[in-house]
Amino acid sequence: MRDLPTGLDLLELGRRLLLDDIAPLLPEARQRDIHLIATSIAIVAREAANADAPLRKMGELLRQFYPPRPDPLPASGESEHEELLRRFALDLRRGAFETSGSRERAARAILWRLTILKLGEGNPQFLAANGVK
Amino acid sequence: MAATASLRSDRESPEARRRLAAFLAAASGARAVEIVGLALLEGGAIQQNWGIEADFAGGALAGVQLLVLRADAATGVPSSLSRLEEFAVLQSVFAAGVAVAEPLFSCADPDVFGGPFFVMRRLPGHAFGRIITRDPALDAALSEIAAQLGHELACIQTIFPPHRGLEFLPADSGPLARIVEFRTYLDRHPTPRPVLEWGMRWLETHLPEPLSSVLCHRDFRTGNYLLDGARLTGILDWEFAGWGDPDEDIGWFCCKGWRFARLDREAGGIAARDDFYRGYETGSGRRLDPDRIRFWEVFANVRWAIIALQQSDRVLIGGERSLSTAITARRATECEFELLLLLDPDGNPS
Repeated sequence: MRDLPTGLDLLELGRRLLLDDIAPLLPEARQRDIHLIATSIAIVAREAANADAPLRKMGELLRQFYPPRPDPLPASGESEHEELLRRFALDLRRGAFETSGSRERAARAILWRLTILKLGEGNPQFLAANGVK
Repeated sequence: MAATASLRSDRESPEARRRLAAFLAAASGARAVEIVGLALLEGGAIQQNWGIEADFAGGALAGVQLLVLRADAATGVPSSLSRLEEFAVLQSVFAAGVAVAEPLFSCADPDVFGGPFFVMRRLPGHAFGRIITRDPALDAALSEIAAQLGHELACIQTIFPPHRGLEFLPADSGPLARIVEFRTYLDRHPTPRPVLEWGMRWLETHLPEPLSSVLCHRDFRTGNYLLDGARLTGILDWEFAGWGDPDEDIGWFCCKGWRFARLDREAGGIAARDDFYRGYETGSGRRLDPDRIRFWEVFANVRWAIIALQQSDRVLIGGERSLSTAITARRATECEFELLLLLDPDGNPS
């Protein structure tokens, strides 16, 4: 059991302190730096709050997309999720799903999910500006 | 961090000023030059731009002059021209009548300013995309500025190969060869990028009929032109210039990644496409083909994503300690989202 407030609470308080109290004291030329720091803090907070949930979700989607191989590949040192993601990328490069409408649609759905998951942590404002809640 | 900070402090030292003053005096034929001010300017993600106020005693620039010195940062990206090559490009476009700062001198001797550099006149205005796209005082002028930018682009494209002074620029290898380069880069990158692979596959299977090569700026966008009030004063940053397709710069200019605060204004965040296209078509006499522009806009998003990843390499591999550079890598996913919007507009699950 850790002490409270949580690290994430402290991080958010620090971010507000930076934006609300410190930024107004600094010259215009440093305002962008302050906002970059605040953005970085917000990314850290979202990633910490989500822990590995987005990675697990992606792994789940890719495992559904690729049925288990009868003859597993030799271990490459990568996690199963990394291996599947690399395989997915290479299959897309080769156009492997272009002869099957259903596989192609499923692949595109994964691309959307993957991208929205990443932006949900990295830049949710960008998603909102593009109409994604 | 050490390389970046050390390079900057070396260039700010009294000794560097003395060497620079001696160079400027020799290059301009002045009896002496006093460096009154020397300061690193904002912007310039890959290069350093130093503002110089210098008092020339005699010679071609007699009097007080405001100049800009452009030099390499401690780390760069692979597709960037050298400073001496960029100077040659600037000379060519200046001679062609493009709105750019007058190029004055170049220097290959690394002992003068810690690496090759060139000097140009300093133009008035600023290039801050967030301000340009948000400033209500500019609203009435922006459609005309977009048309002017289209006209400037047409003027750049009056330069085509072979062109005296630009023999060093490699022949246009076409989009397919560049896709191969992007894939080679991604093969070395630790993280697979399925959306980029999918986007490149689309490009590979939708190659347009080639047009004759022209000079491409390759970073022609909001953020790389100067506005003094509502007056366009110059096109900046020629480090990526090369021979290429006439529509490449149009796709780049309209790419969503360069619209800053106004995603709805499809021409660089400042105007409707028609305003920009009008200026270009009037200047070039060539009617734009929407299918070609779409191809180059998809290409722009792939390329911007690759550049964003390369920027992060400067931090992860090159030792650069810039938060601004590091965070740029996150923009690759924004480009991927735009690729999905462009190529699968009905697939958005939201």
